[in-house]
Parts: sequence; C-alpha cells; structure tokens
Amino acid sequence: MGIGVYQLFPTDNSSIQQILSLIFYAIFFFYLFFGQQLQVQRILLSISGALNKIKDAHDRSKREIIDFLQKNGYNGDAVSHVNTLIEYFTISPVDLDPTGLVKKIEHILSVRDERIRSEVRSMLPEKDALTISILENLLEISAALNVYYKVVRHYYLIGKKTSNLYLLMQLQMVLPDLLREVEALVSAIEPIKNAQPIGDGIGPMVAGRLLLNNEKKQIARDTIFGEVNYKNRILYVIKAEGPAGNVGQPGNAIEYLINNYGLKPAAIIMIDAALKLEGEATGEVAEGAGAAIGGIGVDKYKIEEIASRNNIPLYAIIIKESIVEAITCMTKEIVEAIPKVLNRIDYLLENRTREGDSVIVVGVGNSIGVGQ
Amino acid sequence: MANRLFKGQKQFKVVTIEECLSCKLKMKRPFKINDYVYKEGEVCQKCGTKMIISAIYKEELKY
Ligand SMILES: [Zn+2]
Repeated sequence: MGIGVYQLFPTDNSSIQQILSLIFYAIFFFYLFFGQQLQVQRILLSISGALNKIKDAHDRSKREIIDFLQKNGYNGDAVSHVNTLIEYFTISPVDLDPTGLVKKIEHILSVRDERIRSEVRSMLPEKDALTISILENLLEISAALNVYYKVVRHYYLIGKKTSNLYLLMQLQMVLPDLLREVEALVSAIEPIKNAQPIGDGIGPMVAGRLLLNNEKKQIARDTIFGEVNYKNRILYVIKAEGPAGNVGQPGNAIEYLINNYGLKPAAIIMIDAALKLEGEATGEVAEGAGAAIGGIGVDKYKIEEIASRNNIPLYAIIIKESIVEAITCMTKEIVEAIPKVLNRIDYLLENRTREGDSVIVVGVGNSIGVGQ
Repeated sequence: MANRLFKGQKQFKVVTIEECLSCKLKMKRPFKINDYVYKEGEVCQKCGTKMIISAIYKEELKY
C-alpha cells in the first residue's frame, strides 16, 4: 500500500481518530485565514490595558493639580483652567533656513514660559516663588502625560479601526519604554508636590555645596551665581535658584559673565545628571568634554558658541542615573556621588588651570528642594 | 505613595540629613515639609554651631 492522501483521512480506524484529525484541520485552516485577526485582537487587548494605565496616570496628575490649587486657596473653576494650561502648545519655528533658528526657538519658549507663569500667578496671586514653581512643574508633568495618552489612544483607535496588525505591533513594541516613562512622570508628582529634591537636582546640589557661606546674586531668569575663592582660584558658580523648581538659564548666565562682566575664564566646568545605560551603576561619575546640559538645546547652543568663540575649554562631569531616578525623589546613591564630583573638580582645577585663574562652574538641573 | 498605579513600585520614606560643618556630626531624621537642601538646621548637639541640611533622599522601606 503506497502513501496516499487517503491516509490523512483514515477510514479504517476508530471514529475518535477521525474526529481528532477533523478538529486538527479545522484549527489549521482557522489559523491560516483568521490568525491575523486573532493576533490583532490579542494586541488590542494588551494595548487597551496599557492605555487605561496611562489614562489613570493622566487623571491622577490632573487631580493632584486641582487638589494643590484648592489647598492653596484658589476657588475659581480649577478644572477648566487646568485643562487649558495642559493643552497649551508651542509651534516650533520653520527650519528651512536654519540661520538664527535657536534665537527663534528661545523667543517662542520664553513667550510660552511667561504666558504659563503669568497664568499660574493669576491663579495663586499671593503665593511665593516655590509654590508657583511647584504648580508649573506639576502642569508640565500633566501636559506630558496628556500627550502620551492622546498619542497612544490615537494609534490604538486607528489600529482598531483598520485592523492594521503592523501598526499595532509597532505600538506594542514601544509600549514598555513608554510605560516606564509614564511611571517615572507619575512618581515625580509626590516629590515635586512636597518640594523634595529629585535625581536631576544633583548638579544644583554640587553647585550649592560650593556656594555655601558665600554671597549669591541673581544673574539670569531664575538663575543665581556666586564668587567663591577655592584652591587659590576664583570660581564663578552658577545654579538655578532654589529651593523652587527651576532649571534657570545657564546659557544666559555664562554669556552675561563673559560679555558684561568681562570675565576671561580658564575653563567652564559643567556638572549634570546624565542617563545611564541599563547595567551601569546609579551614581557613577564620569568626566568628558563638551556642554553637559539637556533640554531643547538653547542653553547648550549658547554655551558651545561662547566657549568656542573665546576658546575656553568645556569640561563635563556627569552623574549617571536612570530616567526614573532623574525625575523622582533623590536617592542615597546619587547623593553619595557629591564627594566624587568635588574630587573631580579639584583634579581639573589643579591640572587644567593655574592659581589665580577664573573658572566658571555650572550645576545643571532642576533645583527643586535644593537651596544655596 | 498610597495608591500604587504600577505594580512593582517600591514603598519608601524620605529622610533629611543634617550635618554640622565644623565637627562633621551627621543626623538623620524624617523629612518635614519646608525642608530643603542647604537650609539652616538645628544646633549641633556636640559643638553648638548651627547645622545645615546637607541632603534629602528616599530610603526604601524594608519589611
Ligand atoms: Zn558640631
């Protein structure tokens, strides 16, 4: 007896076997024709779970802002006011002709910042800079969560409407990272509400340590500096003004020191928290060259510009931490990096500058909960 | 951290470290609202100078 198709449908055996093979074929053809739909449904289910989490996070951030407003004596229509501020958008300038683009970006950002701040001030007219900055920071968190929620919802709904497996798969692939960022934003609410330092505040903490017992003056918007005699050099230490939650304008501060103060620094040392790679230890300190500063790039541009024009060496000292650690409450590992950073500064001063030199030291980061 | 949105989020408490700059005495206490780093703290129990808040950070709660 040769091998024939009939062997696939055995007739000589029990009816049990026949039923089993029939079921097998049913499943086989079902998957062949409907497998993709099944996968779409499965992915939709997992995305809708994640979407609900992001929505909960967004709702909670809004609730916290409204609570905060009411606790601080605001009795207007908090909900609609907060919604307007969360939806506030900025349009980035056209980059067809990139000359002078940074100036335009700076202009637009400063219009936005002023607008938000005046709105926040009008809601809490009698409150101090700290309370105002807490509300600004909370609004920023909520606005970010709003964007995450709306974008994920957009792709979820499009994917659902068109049953587009490949679109949904791409969304599913980025979801774990996205959820981690959402989680970080949510856990930033508590420390910011209580004005506790966050991981990103390590730069201002180092600068504040150098500034202890020295006179401090305002030098740019939300930014202060002080002259410090240290190891027979004069350090011009810059940080955002704390304990309010500011990042300040280190670019403008350095420009002011060099252009208006006539300062000729032998070096600029920037200290900032930097994102670590998975597997690297939190609080690890590393040294490099360049402008250690994040954000959209206005300050970075200004610092690089003035340093290269005046041929000032730019040194960077970074403290490694994860994205979650950077925006949630400070940890012990990060605090323990301070003496290591100070050692690096000493080393740089001793080896790369001479006695009597002026050196600019910038502690970059959010100064919430970090005074000076 | 009453309501945990994400599972696996750890419980922690926030502590304030006060440090005496002259005798290096360190004191740890729970964080109080209005504490901030480099704010003047209490008087040092050992040498009587004013301490400063040198750090604020979170500690994981261990059960
Ligand atoms: Zn003492």
